[in-house]
Amino acid sequence: MFLELKQVKKAFGEGENRVEVLRGVDLSVGKGEFCVMLGPSGSGKSTLLNIIGGIDAADAGELIVGGENMSQMKEKALSNYRRKHLGFIFQMYNLIPNLTVRENIEVGAYLSDHPLDVDELLETLGLSDQAGKLPNQLSGGQQQRTAIGRAIVKNPDLLLCDEPTGALDYATSKEILHLIETINQKYGNTVIMVTHNEQIAGMADRVVTLRDGKVRKNIVNTTKITAEELEW
Amino acid sequence: MVMRNPLRKRLPRDLKTEFGKYLVIFLLLVLSIGFISGFLVAGESMIKAYDESFEKYNIEDGNFSSKKRLDDEQRNEIEALGIKLYDQFYFEQRLTTGSRLRIFKIRDEVNLVCLMQGALPVGENEIAVDRMFADNNHLTVGDTITVDGTGKVYTISGLVALSDYSTMFESNNDTMFDALTFGVAVVAKEAYDQYPVRGMSYNYAWKYDEKPVDAATEKVVSEELMKQMAKITKLERFVPGYINQAIHFTGDDLGSDRIMMIVLLYIIIIIIAFVFAITTSNTIAQEATVIGTLRASGYTKAELVRHYMAMPTIVTLAAAIVGNVLGYTWLKDVCVFMYYNSYSLPTYETVWSVSAFVQTTVIPLVITVIINYFLLNRALRLSPIRFLRKDLSRKKKKKAIPLSGKLPFFARFRLRVILQNVPNYLVLWIGILFADVLLLFGLGLPVLLNNYQDRIQDTMISDYQYLLNAPISATDENKKLESLVQAAMFMHEVETDNPDAEKFSAWTLKTLGDVAREESITLYGIEPGSQYVKDDLSDGKILISKLMADKYRIGAGDTFTMKEAYEDTTYTFTIDGVSEYEGSVAFFMSREKLNEIFDQEKDFFCGYFSNSPITDISEDYLSTVVDLNAMTKVTRQLQHSMGSMMDMVNVFAVIIFLILMYLLSKIIIEKNAQSISMTKILGYRGGEIRGLYLHSTSIMVVISLLVSIPLVKVVLMELFYVMMLEMISGWLPLTIPNWLYVEAFVMGLLSYALVALIEMRRIKKIPMDLALKNVE
Repeated sequence: MFLELKQVKKAFGEGENRVEVLRGVDLSVGKGEFCVMLGPSGSGKSTLLNIIGGIDAADAGELIVGGENMSQMKEKALSNYRRKHLGFIFQMYNLIPNLTVRENIEVGAYLSDHPLDVDELLETLGLSDQAGKLPNQLSGGQQQRTAIGRAIVKNPDLLLCDEPTGALDYATSKEILHLIETINQKYGNTVIMVTHNEQIAGMADRVVTLRDGKVRKNIVNTTKITAEELEW
Repeated sequence: MVMRNPLRKRLPRDLKTEFGKYLVIFLLLVLSIGFISGFLVAGESMIKAYDESFEKYNIEDGNFSSKKRLDDEQRNEIEALGIKLYDQFYFEQRLTTGSRLRIFKIRDEVNLVCLMQGALPVGENEIAVDRMFADNNHLTVGDTITVDGTGKVYTISGLVALSDYSTMFESNNDTMFDALTFGVAVVAKEAYDQYPVRGMSYNYAWKYDEKPVDAATEKVVSEELMKQMAKITKLERFVPGYINQAIHFTGDDLGSDRIMMIVLLYIIIIIIAFVFAITTSNTIAQEATVIGTLRASGYTKAELVRHYMAMPTIVTLAAAIVGNVLGYTWLKDVCVFMYYNSYSLPTYETVWSVSAFVQTTVIPLVITVIINYFLLNRALRLSPIRFLRKDLSRKKKKKAIPLSGKLPFFARFRLRVILQNVPNYLVLWIGILFADVLLLFGLGLPVLLNNYQDRIQDTMISDYQYLLNAPISATDENKKLESLVQAAMFMHEVETDNPDAEKFSAWTLKTLGDVAREESITLYGIEPGSQYVKDDLSDGKILISKLMADKYRIGAGDTFTMKEAYEDTTYTFTIDGVSEYEGSVAFFMSREKLNEIFDQEKDFFCGYFSNSPITDISEDYLSTVVDLNAMTKVTRQLQHSMGSMMDMVNVFAVIIFLILMYLLSKIIIEKNAQSISMTKILGYRGGEIRGLYLHSTSIMVVISLLVSIPLVKVVLMELFYVMMLEMISGWLPLTIPNWLYVEAFVMGLLSYALVALIEMRRIKKIPMDLALKNVE
């Protein structure tokens, strides 16, 4: 398995305020898989994603990515891990306001020894015409596509998406999902997407449902449909 | 593929959007670095020119005046003592303007003349005057001057510097030089020969055949020389080179303010570095989620620290370069002008100064880099997730400080804004404190000097103070009998019938030079029941003047040790009290006590206090007449020398006020831009919004200005104290009237008012959709 989580635990706060967000999560995801993580808010899915991404540390348990045990890594090694292997997409696009679309994508490319061709990627993202624009000149969908471009231009092994369509309308959401699907197929990255929209599960290879800090369901989707076919 | 960090593309755009901010910081840095480097370069260039002038212009080893012109025999006898003599006769003329010119014949062997402008004089009617004298009296080449009395008119052919008069000490005994009403000049032989013999000063310069190796040897050699010379001719004046203030004062003073200027620069640099750090941490707060995303994508903390440090470093570097260029050109000239304003220095060549470069360029850069690195490193230490959540507070679970509900809503709101910006206000306060010190320094010094001048008349012991001068021939130990006769004659000559006159005895001792620079202290022996010094000096009491107490920070019960000039004998006095006398640094005791201490006859005296001029004693026996004019010489000269600098200091202080207030209120408004936008949407009116976001800063500015006053007072007094200790012999009362603090406060407020206007426009320009666009 490419990604393995063993008894991962995480709590926030202390004393009376202590909340156990993850109470022992076990999960395996294969290389190149498109994994959708579902669950109501507070179920711990974003925290789990952050731990996989190495930007939050688990209190207990093991995280193994590509055969490497991440649990014991120090900040510097984690930073290096993120740099070389990870792409992040958030609900908010967090683009750098005074850099153009192309330059925002180059911010990602800079981190990789073997980045994708930026022009080709702009084409794939449908942003060729927008390449010279600043973020505030773009629609929400275009901004999110730029953010996706920034995440995948370094061709990461693992693409982590935290509610990537959370701030977008139906049509744009579908466009974005289609884009992620295309990228998954074209470049073969493992994708983990956190969402509370159950319909999106339809396009996944694997659907994981979290509730109260535990994996309640872990299903391999045998009736996978394309992003275009999704309806909600 | 090696790619350059794309983040760097932000830098020129940052510069464009934040142009105002970077511009003011840049200008402040350029001014500071430029001025200080100009100051240091000018200082070092002048010192070099001054040092080289000894050889270049063949400056004398000493000079003396003889009552009568030396004949060939006397001349040979004196030269046989191991020196070579050169005529330096001069004639003093009062001009119709009231100024006094000491006129020499053009020199061609020693104390050569440096021609600064125009040509050397030829013929009977041309004169070349000292360049500084010309400046101060608004004269230039081609102008004419008229001698008072004779009506003789000279045309100024050129402006010169006399190498033996770099500082205008009219007499070597003067407490301060006088570059305003006293000057030197040279004329051609033809003009010189027309002077009458009467009134001519027979002054001779000498050069040793073998120059003594150091000042100590020179002292021994010159003292022996004086004794021997006194046997050959009647000496009126004897000034060996090493104590000649007209030659050496410049050298001692040049570069003596160096430390003060450098400290000034570093304080400014530190304040600017903090302003940079605060603006940058504000940017970091604004860009928190971007930083979180970058960090999550694998950007290292170091990469981001470097990125955010780039602008401060670039701006400081650019300012250092421009500052240095200006420092070596325009600002150097400004500083050179300041020196030329006080000293008659020869022409100079600009020298490249490594130490100035290190101190004004390298060290400021290092300070900026270190402070920014330290603060940014701290700010960016948080985990990526904290940035993504915009959770940047260092303390866990920061709770809102409870504010009483009884406070009106606006007051609570403002308090919240203030509490949100405590670090900003702290930097603002420190900046205000610093600018206040500068401003009050610039405003205070002239007032201090004026006050002293105004009050000195009231504080003088008497309107006139005469010191009697025994001719050197009357003190020759080797011709005892002759001396005694001379002395007896002298004692007879110096009796007066003036009823105001009161005898006093006095002795001069040197301080040890451990607290302030070595100086001469006069010890007065006062008649019992004196009408001039009313302090109780009975039973051998020893009092010090108030200025003495202020300067040396001593009082009743303390002891003070001084030494005989050029001797090893020391005297230690136990002080019984402080006199109110404010005219100078001095000791008072009864005449009897003084004469006893210094082993003099019981009725020994050496001068008169008097409230009316004494007219019945020959001027030959009056060495120094301490009158009002003489006593205010110090302050007048200080006013002239430092006046232009004080204006610059004031302008600088106001610039610092403006810049800091501008930058910090800008940050506070920008930080709250979204909330301001929201209040606009909610329907708050412009005045109300200003009331919330701008007036909180206004309140803090007023508080900062007020709170600064007592602190500034302490710092200022200490600053003046240290500065005066460095700069002057003697002392003056360091008191700053309270209205000056009010003036500084008002100037601070006016500066802020200007800034507030700019910020009002900024608030007005914040669009309403800002709050809608960036919902996060």
